[in-house]
Amino acid sequence: MNRRDFIQYSVAATGISTIVASCKPENKIKGSILGASFSVGHLLRDKQFSSPSSVEVKQVAIIGSGVSGLTAARQLRQQGIEGMVVLELEKRIGGNATNGENLISAYPLGAHYVPIPNNDLKEYLNFLKSANVITAFTKEGLPIYNESFLCFDPEERLYINGKWQEGLIPQYGVPVNDLQEIERFLQQMQEFRLAKGRDGKDAFSIPTNHSSEDPDFIKLDALTMKEWMVHKGFTSEYLHWYVNYCTRDDFGTPYHICSAWAGIHYFAGRKGKAANADYSDVLTWPEGNGFLIRELSKDLHDYIRTETLVTKVVKESDHVIVQYYDVKSKVLREIKAEQCILAIPQFVAVRLLKDNSRIETVKANFQYAPWMVANIVTDEVEERSGQPLSWDNVIYGSESLGYVDATHQLLQQHTVKKNLTYYLPLTKMNPVDERNQAQNKKHEEWVKQIISELKLVHPNIESAVKEINITLWGHAMVQPVPGMIHGNLRKELARSIGNSIHFAHTDISGISIFEEAFYQGLEAAKKVIQYVGQ
Amino acid sequence: MQTKENKAQWILLLAVFVIATCGLIYELVAGTLASYLLGDSVTQFSTIIGAYLFSMGIGSFLSKYLGGNLLQWFVRIELMVGFIGGFSSPLLFIVFPLANSFQIILYTLVGITGVLVGLEIPLLMRILEHKVEFKELVSRVFTFDYIGALLASLIFPLLLVPQLGLIRTSLFFGILNIGVGWYLLHYFSAELKRAALLKLTAVFLLLIELVAFVFSEKILKYSETMAFNDQIIYAVSSPYQRIVLTRNKRELRLFLNGNLQFSSADEYRYHEALVHPALSSVTKPSNVLVLGGGDGLAVREILKYQTVKNITLVDLDPEMTKLFKSQSVLLKLNKESLLNKKVKIINQDAFIWLRENQQKFDAIIIDFPDPSSFSVGKLYSTLFYQLVRTAIKTEGIIVIQSTSPYVAPKSFWCIDQTLKSVGFFTRPYHNYVPSFGEWGYIIATPAEKEISFHSLPSGLKFLDSATLEQLFIFPEDMRTKAELQLNKLNNQALVHYFEEEWSKYLE
Repeated sequence: MNRRDFIQYSVAATGISTIVASCKPENKIKGSILGASFSVGHLLRDKQFSSPSSVEVKQVAIIGSGVSGLTAARQLRQQGIEGMVVLELEKRIGGNATNGENLISAYPLGAHYVPIPNNDLKEYLNFLKSANVITAFTKEGLPIYNESFLCFDPEERLYINGKWQEGLIPQYGVPVNDLQEIERFLQQMQEFRLAKGRDGKDAFSIPTNHSSEDPDFIKLDALTMKEWMVHKGFTSEYLHWYVNYCTRDDFGTPYHICSAWAGIHYFAGRKGKAANADYSDVLTWPEGNGFLIRELSKDLHDYIRTETLVTKVVKESDHVIVQYYDVKSKVLREIKAEQCILAIPQFVAVRLLKDNSRIETVKANFQYAPWMVANIVTDEVEERSGQPLSWDNVIYGSESLGYVDATHQLLQQHTVKKNLTYYLPLTKMNPVDERNQAQNKKHEEWVKQIISELKLVHPNIESAVKEINITLWGHAMVQPVPGMIHGNLRKELARSIGNSIHFAHTDISGISIFEEAFYQGLEAAKKVIQYVGQ
Repeated sequence: MQTKENKAQWILLLAVFVIATCGLIYELVAGTLASYLLGDSVTQFSTIIGAYLFSMGIGSFLSKYLGGNLLQWFVRIELMVGFIGGFSSPLLFIVFPLANSFQIILYTLVGITGVLVGLEIPLLMRILEHKVEFKELVSRVFTFDYIGALLASLIFPLLLVPQLGLIRTSLFFGILNIGVGWYLLHYFSAELKRAALLKLTAVFLLLIELVAFVFSEKILKYSETMAFNDQIIYAVSSPYQRIVLTRNKRELRLFLNGNLQFSSADEYRYHEALVHPALSSVTKPSNVLVLGGGDGLAVREILKYQTVKNITLVDLDPEMTKLFKSQSVLLKLNKESLLNKKVKIINQDAFIWLRENQQKFDAIIIDFPDPSSFSVGKLYSTLFYQLVRTAIKTEGIIVIQSTSPYVAPKSFWCIDQTLKSVGFFTRPYHNYVPSFGEWGYIIATPAEKEISFHSLPSGLKFLDSATLEQLFIFPEDMRTKAELQLNKLNNQALVHYFEEEWSKYLE
């Protein structure tokens, strides 16, 4: 925004807001609360179903059309498996990576970017090539990324000490001692990034399962990130804020709960090299990872059935019985499949399997972070000084993770209105209480909370905002608490049942990132191909 | 006692003198500002003076409702006039960009100042009514009032505006006004209630005005309107930009977001240099694309080629093309180029339009604003130039206005390198445009070819074949040794260079 605009908006803002405030009791912002279908989902817990009205025979049934499920389906399709069905509870496919759209642009409802991939992830790189995210490879084999998808500059800004600074690592107005400590911390993370275990593997790898088993690194999974920092003598308040921001951002888990191994993985897992990008760069789209969902599901539409609530998955002699409630026609149906992939979180999977001991184990050990994501439609907002509106905009010390501007990655120069996606992992209390509180919260209450936070950086936000739609993710991602990643439970739960029921979800890899989901799907597909037709 | 009374009387009369000067100054400031910002000085001055005098009338009428300690009222009014009048000019400058309600704010300020000034003389006369004989009182008060007015009307145009400028003038008289109030407070503190509180207020207001006076340069900086030394004849805000046209005796100027786009006095130098080197080297150009250039001035030059059958102009802002299709002074300037049947105008984002475009052109003229913001910077990126490449014929030629190689060599050569990186062969050149200074352009061709200039159209004012050859010579001070980044969407290197170089230059 230039100076003249600034004056205009600020004068308009103060002028108009006082006028509006004086003659209208309150500016009612429209919008609604969307959410993963709680009500339909809870049928599973609460309703008794009778016998199915139709039976089909299929080679493979995939339950869940998030990144894992779609990757598995895509892989199977490429291997020539046609007798396949993908069942999805929601109206839209994509799970956490789904997106919405309005007249201004598409916008994410959940996951909204992927970092530059590590170069050893061949299958993933090939997928990105087929999606034209990678346009070509250099002679040396380095990927060349499509410049429309590399996040445009200016990428990130942080509002701190009364000003928007460039980048998210606190700098502006930060005392020298703190800056030095932050520098020391980042240096240490850099060492972890390059570190290899005695087994020759990267200490921190993606997928996590490829990481070194060297006890020197695994022991980091025994304590929390905060404990590790304190132990290492990191005391800077600014640094602690930043690290906590990072673990909440990637894992929905505050750093005093998050495993130190996972926390460090956030900084040390990325090693991607490219001809025209750096490992710290990100790929993004106006619709967020919805773009990747579209690419993954390109040839899969004939196989996907949305609004289907799977009620039961049991192994019966040489096949798997999958029963599902067809929400649209309100009848129960059955699929007899040779192979089944449960590409859904464990807390749902165990209910389908009707395995009581498994239900108890998951309940006792898996914590899922609830998230609130708000899609804000707004006119141009008044700005504070410093770096102009960027892709990712974060307020130091705030409860939320800030907001992402979906229109940032559009090619056009200018959109009059913006789609801002605001992210809030609900981590103040334990997940169960947070979830209950979130489900009972009214639209106005969310709006009030969001506006009062954003007012600090955009004084006229209340009058500029046209609409706010809330999406609640009750179980957005598993929390990588200590022991989760390098404990045995995750591996036990990931084990296939009788060579015919396989699991694919990020909760059994410990961290919820795109690559983990992708390789979960890929691994499950490999197992299916091994056993199908036997 | 008698002398004390006498002295008091003279002090009050002196106050009348100062007040009268201040009062008239506020009126003149408002009138000047209105005609300066809104144009049409006769109407503006006339209505401002009318409104001001009328408000004074209201003030005089209202004065009868003021009772109690009149001196107290008088001091209060002094402070208020000093504050409101003093800040009227900075305030008006700042709110001017809010064009729609500017007049309301202007006349409200004039009204309030008028009412307060109108209260002063009647109040003063009532204060003095028992101290001085009536005929003496009327005579003295009005004498001082009118002398003050004369003084104001003389020093305002001769001394104040040239020396102090409008903002400082109004602040200066605000300070004077409050100074009078403060002195009266000091002198008559015995007769006043809660004098300490009033004094505190006076000192506080005085301080604010002093600060504003000292920092008036900063206020000025915040108000781009000061940048226009001429009369504004047209101003409109589109969703994309603020378009302002100014005029003086010599020239017409167009500003977009406060940046000069052209001056009618020398724009031919820019537009001839932009269009002809490229177009004259194309054999029989037929289809030409113009990106940006909603003023139709590049189109005017293109139309000088008889072989040109179609010109497609893609400019984001419909306000801009509408303006240059309808305003008579502008039609005269662009020779009604945008109304020509050969010209097709598309109001769309160039990036988006190019992505959808299937046509190939003989020549593409790119006349975007300078890359001073991230949004415009996109139109100078590798990805954009890749798209431009798809729209040019193999034998075609492209030219890009590329800011000043003298002021911003890094920016200029960054554009050159960016073009080369996507496979263009480039021929950078420059010329002198008095309003802009030394200005740069880059010719880009998809194939390497010797550029030979065919005959230039007749009737050009700047270019001829001898001048043409010289444009391609770059002296050392328009080059850079710095290692330059390519301008990409994910680094916006050009915007960073541009900001760095121009801010240094404008310091």
